[in-house]
Amino acid sequence: MMFSPRCVSLRYTDVMSIVRVAIGFLTGVAMCGWLVTPACGQDDAFFEKQVRPILVTHCYKCHAGANSRGGLRLDTRAGWQKGGDTGPAVVPGKPDESLLMQAVRYHDTDLQMPPPDAGGRLTDAEIDALEKWVRLGAPDPRESVESIGGMSVEAAKSWWAFQPLPKARGRASAAAIDRFLDEKLRQQGIASVAQADKRTLIRRATFDLTGLPPTPKDVETFVADGSAAAFATLVDRLLASPQYGVRYGRHWLDVVRYADTAGENSDRPLPHAWRYRNWVIDSFNRDVPFDEFTKLQLAGDILRAQEPQDRKAEGIVATGYLAVARRFGHDIDHNLHLLYEDVIDNLGKSFLGLTTGCARCHDHKYDPISAEDYYAIAGIFDSTRFAFPGCEPRSQPYDLVPLIPAMEVDAITKAAKRSGSKPVIPVAYAVAEKEPHDMQLQQGGDPERRGDMVPRRWLSVFGGQPLPSNAGSGRRELAGWISQHPLFARVVVNRVWQWHFGTGLVATSNDFGSRGAAPSHPELLDWLASHFVASGHRVKTLHRLIMNTKAYQRSSGNALDPNNRWLARFSRRRLSAEEIRDSLLFVSGQLDQEPGEAHPFPKEETWKFTQHAPFNAVYDTNKRSVYLMVQRQRRHPFLALFDGADPNSSTGRRQVTTVPTQALYFLNDPFFHKQANGLAERLERTASTWGLRAPSASDSPVSGGEEPTNTRDPRDRENEDNPAWGSEAPSTEAWLTAAFRVVFQRVPAANEVKSAQQFFDKYPGSQADKQRAYVRVLLASSEFIYVE
Amino acid sequence: MGNSSPTRRCFLQSAVTGTALFPGIMQQLLAAEGDPFAQREPHHTPRAKNVIFLFMTGGVSHVDTFDPKPNLVRDHGKEIELDHPETKARDDYRHLYLKRPQWSFRPYGECGTEVSELFPHVGSCMDDIALIRSMHTGHSNHYNATLGMHTGSYNVARPSIGSWVSYGLGTMNQNLPGFVVIAPRQTYAGTQVYASDFLPGAHQGTLVVPGVEPVANVKPVTTRDRQMLELAAIRRFNAAHLRARGTDPQLSARLKSFETAFGMQMAVPDAFDFSKESAATFASYGLQPGQTAGFGWQCLAARRLIERGVRFVELIDTGSSNNWDAHGDMMTHVSLAKNVDQPIAALLRDLKQRGMLEDTLVVWTSEFGRTPFNNSADAKGREHHPWAFSSWMAGAGIKPGIVHGATDEHGLRAVENPVHMHDFHATILHLMGFDHERLTYRHAGRDYRLTDVAGDVVSELIS
Repeated sequence: MMFSPRCVSLRYTDVMSIVRVAIGFLTGVAMCGWLVTPACGQDDAFFEKQVRPILVTHCYKCHAGANSRGGLRLDTRAGWQKGGDTGPAVVPGKPDESLLMQAVRYHDTDLQMPPPDAGGRLTDAEIDALEKWVRLGAPDPRESVESIGGMSVEAAKSWWAFQPLPKARGRASAAAIDRFLDEKLRQQGIASVAQADKRTLIRRATFDLTGLPPTPKDVETFVADGSAAAFATLVDRLLASPQYGVRYGRHWLDVVRYADTAGENSDRPLPHAWRYRNWVIDSFNRDVPFDEFTKLQLAGDILRAQEPQDRKAEGIVATGYLAVARRFGHDIDHNLHLLYEDVIDNLGKSFLGLTTGCARCHDHKYDPISAEDYYAIAGIFDSTRFAFPGCEPRSQPYDLVPLIPAMEVDAITKAAKRSGSKPVIPVAYAVAEKEPHDMQLQQGGDPERRGDMVPRRWLSVFGGQPLPSNAGSGRRELAGWISQHPLFARVVVNRVWQWHFGTGLVATSNDFGSRGAAPSHPELLDWLASHFVASGHRVKTLHRLIMNTKAYQRSSGNALDPNNRWLARFSRRRLSAEEIRDSLLFVSGQLDQEPGEAHPFPKEETWKFTQHAPFNAVYDTNKRSVYLMVQRQRRHPFLALFDGADPNSSTGRRQVTTVPTQALYFLNDPFFHKQANGLAERLERTASTWGLRAPSASDSPVSGGEEPTNTRDPRDRENEDNPAWGSEAPSTEAWLTAAFRVVFQRVPAANEVKSAQQFFDKYPGSQADKQRAYVRVLLASSEFIYVE
Repeated sequence: MGNSSPTRRCFLQSAVTGTALFPGIMQQLLAAEGDPFAQREPHHTPRAKNVIFLFMTGGVSHVDTFDPKPNLVRDHGKEIELDHPETKARDDYRHLYLKRPQWSFRPYGECGTEVSELFPHVGSCMDDIALIRSMHTGHSNHYNATLGMHTGSYNVARPSIGSWVSYGLGTMNQNLPGFVVIAPRQTYAGTQVYASDFLPGAHQGTLVVPGVEPVANVKPVTTRDRQMLELAAIRRFNAAHLRARGTDPQLSARLKSFETAFGMQMAVPDAFDFSKESAATFASYGLQPGQTAGFGWQCLAARRLIERGVRFVELIDTGSSNNWDAHGDMMTHVSLAKNVDQPIAALLRDLKQRGMLEDTLVVWTSEFGRTPFNNSADAKGREHHPWAFSSWMAGAGIKPGIVHGATDEHGLRAVENPVHMHDFHATILHLMGFDHERLTYRHAGRDYRLTDVAGDVVSELIS
């Protein structure tokens, strides 16, 4: 190895050293515009010590790199010499004639830099330093910009998302989060709205953590709990539910673009991918530390190789993350470069919030990722054996990974041979190690145009650490580099924040690079990230912190902030596709909450899928929607209709559309009608046991959708799980009360009962027809599919 | 022309008289100001009632299709120096060389406009087309340029042009959405290209995916009487829910969506049932009997939707991959052109023959062009080129058989009468009867418009 041990231990922020390290170990690799700063004279030392830090801290955010404001770059000497749209920024030796000095002095109201809303005037000492520098003749040793990909090394060095995290001080608390948020609200002059009522809160929290509505009994219990810790208790209960993993596992499956087909020309089924899907759900339920969760997905087979069989098998299943990457083309082994791009693109976005896939064909245009960086990582995956899903010319899958020891595989195979049957070996759609090797750069992303060999290593902007000599593919090391980086912690906590509030502190949760959005609350993001790391990367701890804030518990009433960037209120949201379907099944009493396993795909030996007749199926199930079979080439019709995740690329955040075709679903879809009928039957059976009391004066008056506080008389504590069958058909009031409690988690107001009665009087047909029709109305209402 | 608002009025009135439950709400509904689809007064007499917007995804090479450049052939391989957005930051693009087109051109029709052999059928329609050879746009990324061509905004999502037209003019058929997008796959920037953003949600494009059942669940499962009672009850719930919450564009859109859905149950099956079309029509669009997908199907569906009063129909030829983005090989243009050439020509002839071209504006464009150069003259592909590309318009109010604007001798820059994406939009709105500077919507304290703060109507295109 050609690097010194000292260099390996360098922190990623020490970029000048990185350049030397990189030069050291990347000998022979095209360096793409990197130049080492020449030795400094005395004047240069003044620049380095006094001037460069000012420029980096106060100017580079807008005036570095190809997209500098006003065309002015301050990250190179040539930059200020040429100047921006208004001419050269500095006239060496003449401070009074230099635009830079005019701007920083703040004498001219039309030319003030840094702008008042972006840091404001420099200190007098800083302005004096700049003045002295100009007077000295503006010595600037920066011959050329040292860049990685689309960012200068210095801009990358100062890029906010790459900075080390502050130290987590003291115990994390929800109140601390509120202090960050309240401070911003104060600065913006926005008043926050009141706290939400308890019915709203339990509905919000239950959908948030489980993707299902609360039962009438859940609501009663929570409303009756007058203790200060009632909400915290509720959150704990929901986090302990196995349905929590279903909801949060689905969030993660969006990010990793999970699918049950390969996506190549014939879109072959992946009969074993479900093990990875279920492992994700189970990991959220077990609150597996997120760094561990991440490392297992990238290198579980290696990390668990020496452990007992069940833990070893878990490690293998976890690498399903890599195997479920999209496959491309006709004879897919000819398009491995596209598979690697999909893998690298996804791991960049998922774990680092960086669009790394761009660098396959060229250096990243905007972020510090070079094509060499890309091929350094691609070599790691070229040293990895991906399970092969089959393709048109080679129909049968191979390289699936057995989950039992080799001896048992042999025994099963031999026994099957003797009996003439097909051996049944539990396997995972996963990856394994291959003979490790480096990869040649592919010029312009063209596999035919081979460039220099690129040693496998970590991204140069983060230090470019090489692999140790005894490394395998390098996945183990890559997993470590990723999961220990502060950017990783920021990206993860931002996702969790977005999953609770609808928008992340960084609105572009898959892009923390220069094209992404700036954080709305940078200090809070760092605070959350550092406490998340200090907690041992525990996601459930993070949920408790966030959900117990005042901000999370605000009502969704109106505040003076249309986009709710400052969180003065809670953002109303439509249920996701999965929540709509699961809630329909839930209220109809048809939801099967047990985990799903394998899909009923046709047997592998029968597969003859081609690009002209690709695999295509929709499988019905009453299990939760996360267990629906998701195809890459053809969107699942229901999931597509209600904005489900795109299984072809990472979905950081779902869009919400409202279109008439969704209304047609609520009018005519057979599944919808079936669930409505199910709920009507259920109400018919049990209404007399859980909705007996007609609304009385003690109920808060409810009109339409105003938030009522559930003021049910606590003496009506009948339990839907313990039905006492009534002998007579329930009154309309009783029936409607039962229906409202199931669907809306509230009791109907007097005018709502009257409306229902009028509907029942008008609607033709039997009592059952009327009830089924009214249930459809309730399930089609906005109150059912929106969470406040 | 199917002005079916009486049908809708019947629905609402029968809902009122049939139930006598909520007359107040229904009367509100009947009032024009409560109806986002009510037809509005345009600023001046419109030339076009409808638009068919043909969007070619990925960036069509102008110098290989509609912009012949003999000097590009002559100067093939010559090195040029440019400060080009797609190449300036790329080390392997320090040296740029002109690259000749791969297809030959010939004049068509009485106008004699030259078109390449990639578009023989569209070429045969040049006497009806106003070709713009001086288009340019402000961004060289697909995402941004595609979003720009649809919304006038390169970065932040804004209402799409179809939404603006639907908002401005309402629809002529309340039983069909005012803005329909027929696309086999999503293009760049996804649903944002047909979203209504801050305009009322009712104006967003309704996506139709070619196939056996292009719009699911349009077949009613209860009797009409029963369904109307249920719809009235749904409306009562949702209107009260919205009222209690002040304003929420999503909730308003949802309220409206049920009404549109009711009408769609009759109107949609009719629009996509091609069984009464003649064999000759099928053949002209290049369709096989029973075919339910392909660009020919999309074009015929567009004609049928326009016939039924849909204001704005956009046809997207392909998705955000496997499209005109020919970095690797220009030869991919052959199959992409073949996919659309005959159907587009058939659509123009069909509209003309039915007298519909007089009030239907047909627009053809891509998000940008492709570079007349590359980093090697032997490179097989071309890069993104926002400085110059070709688009065309035909039909209502358009001067037929003309060429407007020109690029320089190599097709690098629009030099004569340049038409910016904003000018293109301003012209379309003008033909629809709107002053693009006055078709505005107040949002977050500012009056927004499709053309942002730019755009000039290209009067030379207008007859």
